[in-house]
Amino acid sequence: MLVAVVPAYNEEKRIGSVIRDLFEHVDKVLVVDDASTDNTFQEARKAGAIVLKHVLNRGQGAALQTGHEYANIIGADYVIHFDGDGQFSTKDISGAMQHMQEAEVDVLLGSRFLQKKSNIPWFKAKILLPLGRIINNLFSGLKLSDAHNGFRILNRKAFNKIKINQDRMAHATEIPAQIKKYNLKYVEFPIEVKYYEYGQNMAGGFKILRDLLLGKFLR
Amino acid sequence: MLILFQILFILFAGFAVFNVISRKRSGLLGQRAVFFWIFFWILGVIVVIWPNSSSILAAYLGIGRGTDLVIYISLALLFFLVFKLNVKLDSLNRDLTKIVRKDALDNNE
Ligand SMILES: Nc1nc2c(ncn2[C@@H]2O[C@H](COP(=O)(O)OP(=O)(O)OP(=O)(O)O)[C@@H](O)[C@H]2O)c(=O)[nH]1
Ligand SMILES: [Mg+2]
Repeated sequence: MLVAVVPAYNEEKRIGSVIRDLFEHVDKVLVVDDASTDNTFQEARKAGAIVLKHVLNRGQGAALQTGHEYANIIGADYVIHFDGDGQFSTKDISGAMQHMQEAEVDVLLGSRFLQKKSNIPWFKAKILLPLGRIINNLFSGLKLSDAHNGFRILNRKAFNKIKINQDRMAHATEIPAQIKKYNLKYVEFPIEVKYYEYGQNMAGGFKILRDLLLGKFLR
Repeated sequence: MLILFQILFILFAGFAVFNVISRKRSGLLGQRAVFFWIFFWILGVIVVIWPNSSSILAAYLGIGRGTDLVIYISLALLFFLVFKLNVKLDSLNRDLTKIVRKDALDNNE
């Protein structure tokens, strides 16, 4: 069973169509509504997804971990992390699943840079993401072409081993770190990311660095 | 003769100690913290009333002036407290997430 885990915060406009597209490629769609203040919950239900609701906003990392625990309960074989804002393309899923099984790995990580498929804004492609990549390599010790990509597929072993403690965006570095720590096999896979508008900015990047540094002192 | 600053500082220290004790009464502070803070404010009062006392210690430690010593210690203490607060906040955040997650998982079925 392949379960899509969709973290969502105020995505009422796009979540419905994302879920409907997902159903063509996965067995179950799980939306983790992170205390959205709009109609994300109702829209996701209407589109047929299972919806778990965080009563307080705990961040994307926290939502993914909630998704993993639910996936474990219902006995999923694979989970796929899929953004609810319509930036990913569901067309990448079947190819990714096939590649993952052929390569016999535990984790597949989407990449915007293996092939030039995405129209990434200049500042993000040339400054933010390269900086993020350096920080990721420093903290996780795993060299990735695109560490900060929310498209991932994890098999049961991987999503049960990996425990996301970074509630906010720093989970993007925490996941590779745990892949290395637990010796999980992984591959990168080229996927497309569409850009409508700007997500995270420089300030967001500094917050992530702060979370990572602080996280070093907590277990 | 006490100068105005010394009087104000002593009043403030008294107020702070009073605060510490009333917190202890309502169970918000542990034994160790109470001793630490009372000791801290008594030390402060001593240094303010007899400025030379800090100079003696400073000279002993090889620091030029007593006031410098006081500033160094205060800064180190502040950094330490801010750091501890940050770590504490982070661990509170993680606990909060666990509760929110449990609630989300429990309320589905
Ligand atoms: N659960 C949860 N999801 C969030 C939160 N913030 C964003 N998301 C979701 O995470 C996904 C990606 O969020 P974005 O803000 O686009 O972040 P991003 O994709 O890393 O940034 P860009 O590449 O600039 O788009 C979307 O589905 C959002 O709804 C949050 O606080 N909690
Ligand atoms: Mg996005």
